[in-house]
Amino acid sequence: MFDAVLLFKDALYGALVIGLVCSVLGVYVVLRRIVFVGAALAELSSAGIALALWLAGRGWMLGIATHPIALALILTIAGVLFFGAGGGRGRIPPDATIGVTYAVAAAMGIILISKAKTGEAHDIFLQGNILGITRGDTMVLLAVAIPVLLVHTLFYKEFLFVSFDRETARTLGYRVNFWNLLLYFTLGLVIAFAMQFAGVMLVFNFLVLPAVTGLLISPSMAGTFFWSIVSALLAAVIGFSLSVPFDLPSGPAIIAVSGALALMAFLVRLAQRR
Amino acid sequence: MGNLVSFDHATLGYGRRVILSDLTFAIPEGDFLGMVGPNGAGKTTILRAILRTLKPISGTVTHALGIRFGYVPQRDQVDYNFPLNVIDVVMMGRYDRIGLGRRPGVNDRKLACASLDHVGILDLADQPLSALSGGQKQRTLIARALVGQPNVLVLDEPTNGMDLVSTTQILGLVRELHERDKLTVLMVSHALNEVANYVERIALVVNGGFRIGTVDEIMTESVLSDMYRIPVEVANLDGHRIVVARRDGQIVPVADV
Repeated sequence: MFDAVLLFKDALYGALVIGLVCSVLGVYVVLRRIVFVGAALAELSSAGIALALWLAGRGWMLGIATHPIALALILTIAGVLFFGAGGGRGRIPPDATIGVTYAVAAAMGIILISKAKTGEAHDIFLQGNILGITRGDTMVLLAVAIPVLLVHTLFYKEFLFVSFDRETARTLGYRVNFWNLLLYFTLGLVIAFAMQFAGVMLVFNFLVLPAVTGLLISPSMAGTFFWSIVSALLAAVIGFSLSVPFDLPSGPAIIAVSGALALMAFLVRLAQRR
Repeated sequence: MGNLVSFDHATLGYGRRVILSDLTFAIPEGDFLGMVGPNGAGKTTILRAILRTLKPISGTVTHALGIRFGYVPQRDQVDYNFPLNVIDVVMMGRYDRIGLGRRPGVNDRKLACASLDHVGILDLADQPLSALSGGQKQRTLIARALVGQPNVLVLDEPTNGMDLVSTTQILGLVRELHERDKLTVLMVSHALNEVANYVERIALVVNGGFRIGTVDEIMTESVLSDMYRIPVEVANLDGHRIVVARRDGQIVPVADV
């Protein structure tokens, strides 16, 4: 079993990097109740990839500007600016705006990919292909994850304060909009890159389930981050290890393990309360 | 004693929408001011101008040099899903003093404990915030406001949704902080009867109008009837003023007018 896993060790490293960085950001995603912003950003990112493939299929290549990562980043950052600046405030409730973005981006992604010349072969690109992650891909992911994690370590208290009580932070001179945008920007950056390899479903899983597990286990912020990271890494290792020898799709296998860990945390918490 | 905040013909609003116009008043050092009015009257707009988070459309709002606010938000503005202990929340009041990218140290923790002791809940320091009662949560937020050593304590609807006992305790604590620590206090509330018996001055914000004065000046039937545009009676019960309004012959609490 381990021999089979070792064959795909670069893919496992990639999944671990994605799990690590998403599980840290996921704590804010869950606590700030922006879970579906994460989903909408992931769909925008996938629409960007689909747009790049469609353009490539028609021979409209404009160098780096039409590279899948570039277009995924452009659309995701546009979403970040919109949601980070409080997009949706006004007549339309914010969750409806998120829903519209999610639905339209998902539909555009499917339409564009269906019209791309290499269409169906790229479905797997939108859904993710963990096993296809190479050492070079892992390096790219690390190049994104390390600065993002550094920013979040360095400015932990700033992100915490503006997330927990923005009005008071504002009265103490904090530039709440700036910190919100920075938080959303790091989220968008991670989603855009992770999406290339892990797909919408797995990225969304890593943004939500580990953080939920952490919140169920720990009554402190430090503990929540710790258990969120541990459960994401565990899910990646166990899910991946099971998927290779048993010929299961890797992404769903990791998600299933994440779900099992969250369920165990819930049951432990329930038992402690009784 | 000088003025900490001065409004000079200030017009306040959002974008082009004017909420209150031509406000001229000051909050002197040592003041204990209650800002009272129904929801939606513009209290929060004035509060934002005082806290420097809203610039006036016209006129000026001037702040004394080195002024520092200790802000106690409405309890529902805070997200109790965050897994934070009481001491973690209180230390947030020092975050801006600690500086960017640095973590609270031993001294910050000591000051936070002293602040918790000051409001009588030091024993709750390591309790999860979400496990506290409404009154204890409010004390935590007051401790957070005090730990930054402010010149002015600003409380936004501090007794909203509280029972009679907690309301009395919180208002008693705020008065104690004003008298014992000589702290300038601004308390925003929609409940005139609650505030009037604790503060020294009242600013009424009602029906687009604004009036400020001592409790004796404001708590008169003529002033209140004029501001609320409804017949109002001010009763006296053992030195405490109780305001009632009559609508269609029925007594209505002024807060509900």
